[in-house]
Amino acid sequence: MGMLQVALSAFGGGLSAWSQRIVVEERCWMSNEEFLTGLTVARLFPGPNQINMAVYVGTFFHGLRGALVALAGMLLLPFTLLMVLGLAYFSFHTLPAIDRVLAGVVAAAAGMALSMGFKILGQYRRDPVALLLAAATLVAMEGFHVRLVPLVLVAGPLAMAWYWPRAEASRLPKP
Amino acid sequence: MFPFPPIALLAATAAGQVAHCEPMRLNDLGHLLQVMGTFLGLSLFSLGGGNTLLSEYHQISVDQFCWLTSTQFADLYALAEAAPGPSSMLVGLLGMGAGWPEGPGWALLSAYGAELAILLPSTLLMVVACLRWNRLRDSTWRIAFERGLGPITLGILFAVGLKILHTADTNTPGLIVSLLVCVLMLRTRISPLWFMAVAGVLGGLGVINR
Repeated sequence: MGMLQVALSAFGGGLSAWSQRIVVEERCWMSNEEFLTGLTVARLFPGPNQINMAVYVGTFFHGLRGALVALAGMLLLPFTLLMVLGLAYFSFHTLPAIDRVLAGVVAAAAGMALSMGFKILGQYRRDPVALLLAAATLVAMEGFHVRLVPLVLVAGPLAMAWYWPRAEASRLPKP
Repeated sequence: MFPFPPIALLAATAAGQVAHCEPMRLNDLGHLLQVMGTFLGLSLFSLGGGNTLLSEYHQISVDQFCWLTSTQFADLYALAEAAPGPSSMLVGLLGMGAGWPEGPGWALLSAYGAELAILLPSTLLMVVACLRWNRLRDSTWRIAFERGLGPITLGILFAVGLKILHTADTNTPGLIVSLLVCVLMLRTRISPLWFMAVAGVLGGLGVINR
């Protein structure tokens, strides 16, 4: 359990490839296939992917208890650091020099946020219905300021109904 | 005082911007629980890795509870992206902003509370999902869920990107930097930390401002 904690904190910064090396190759905690299953589950379910992955690894060993330990191991160090940064921010953000630097950093961060949508756009290129759904979602949020929760509750079931696997179509390619 | 708060709120929104709303004070445990409750309810809606919630976070912390100004929100978002660890730890910073007027102690308490609240439900669901995965894998519900919510996540992510861009609200050089970073993020594998460092220097020199 202790080892789990130490190693998991190491991939706090983490790309999945990095955690794969620790979990599968160095520690031999699980097979590569089991790890990839974990990635699928982590992406599918709500919650941040990296954190879900830690929960998967933890659950794999000790169920709920393992999951909580893995979560603590993953978050403790980065979160403490972030809290220190946060306290510094709230204490000093009114200083003009700090504000100027932050204006630049924010511009870069906005670019990163903008790239998130484009990153997964490619996989829907051949699916006009998906693009239409995405466009409708975008218009609802941007143009009509629909809040996220009602949006997902209404659009989610509609989209699920459309994509409900039909018997003859069950061999569709996996994403 | 307005006798009907909802009407007052509508009037304020209709005026274009909520110029100065009264921040909800976190001076007792009840309010802290309210903060946690808000994030508890959102946890299960964090599709596609959690970033889909960014607009909602802005709505809650800036427009609804007035914990932060829009500028502060943008700063905190950048801070969370720059720091090591999952960027969803932004919620902790928002909680900190909520508690800040009551002093650093409360700020830390509400930071931990908010982060715990946003992670707990999704974590519990994830544990159940892991334990039941073998049965779940071939279920039609899972396949429909995965394929149906993908496009919606796509739409939300675009809306979130625009929202953050709007919140950043920098001058023209800043906007150019944002678009450039977006393209570089997609075309290269350069670490985003470099972009932030360079842009930070540009900001310090006064090229980018807001």
